[in-house]
Amino acid sequence: MSTTEFLILYGCVLATMLLSRCVPLFALKGRSLSPRVTEALGLIPPAAFAALVANDLFQPDVLAKSPIEGILPFVAAIPVLVVAKRTHSLIWSALVGMVAYALLLSAANAL
Amino acid sequence: MLGYVAIGLPCGLMESTIGFTPLMCLVVSATFYSGAGQFMYSNMWVSGAPLYSIIASISFVNTRQILYSAAFSPYFGQVGKLLSFLFSATVTDESFGVNMDKFNKDKTWTPQHGLAVNLLCMTSWAVSNALGCALGSLLDLPLAITAFAMTSIFICLLAGQTLTRKTGVVMAVAAVGVAFCKLVGLTGPAILLGAVAGVIAGLLVPQDVDDGSPVGQTNEAMGDARHVDD
Repeated sequence: MSTTEFLILYGCVLATMLLSRCVPLFALKGRSLSPRVTEALGLIPPAAFAALVANDLFQPDVLAKSPIEGILPFVAAIPVLVVAKRTHSLIWSALVGMVAYALLLSAANAL
Repeated sequence: MLGYVAIGLPCGLMESTIGFTPLMCLVVSATFYSGAGQFMYSNMWVSGAPLYSIIASISFVNTRQILYSAAFSPYFGQVGKLLSFLFSATVTDESFGVNMDKFNKDKTWTPQHGLAVNLLCMTSWAVSNALGCALGSLLDLPLAITAFAMTSIFICLLAGQTLTRKTGVVMAVAAVGVAFCKLVGLTGPAILLGAVAGVIAGLLVPQDVDDGSPVGQTNEAMGDARHVDD
């Protein structure tokens, strides 16, 4: 990433973040958001995280080239999901995911 | 706070792989200050997403902060502008939870206390992030493996969402939407389009709380705003 790209990215995401974080607190002062807006905002986290996970796991080009390699992320996601549900720990999930994926990758390469 | 260190280190490590310096990590973490956002740009940049798509997707995810900010506004009616700004600018998913709980239950809890919590969390996040970034250039883990650490973090965040009929639909539509976008070649905006589709689908599903309406209603009836407001 070049410095210009970094500055554009940083400037834009910081601006939208500060707007989202600060404006409602100043603008509302006692009033509240409409239930419809509150509901939509509440749905953003599950939608965003599902989209991010799907985007990482599903790789059409890899899947077309080597079906086994394309399936690997889905298989490695299973132990991560189990650990995430049990521990609610980001760090444990990340560690289990890396180990599972690395093991599967080397097993697939050995085949 | 230990949680921030545990996630800040790998986050900085990822940022080092896309060319961030420790100073950049420190500045971004102390101002933009968003775990999910910072993982997202590393992840999307590695997968080759265009800059506009990264910015749009992260901005969309940022909007959940509107909910937090709105929730705090009743407690800041008499509070000065500077304190209000500093507090609201440093709220995150985690410190929102802690502060909301305190404001609700503890009558002695002041905006100053709230700001102190926010700043402590932010400092530990920023320092561990910069440290992770500095260590990242020493450690040489293969990118495919570290990228899966991010995927795992997203899986954990997804698993932490309350699963109801409504959020289930949201997640399914978002995931299928992303897959569809990638199949038709819209790889860049896939995350944003999928997530927006998920939210819209969720709004069309009737409330989870039993409001007396039958489950198998038509989409037209579900889309009616009055239905949700009652």
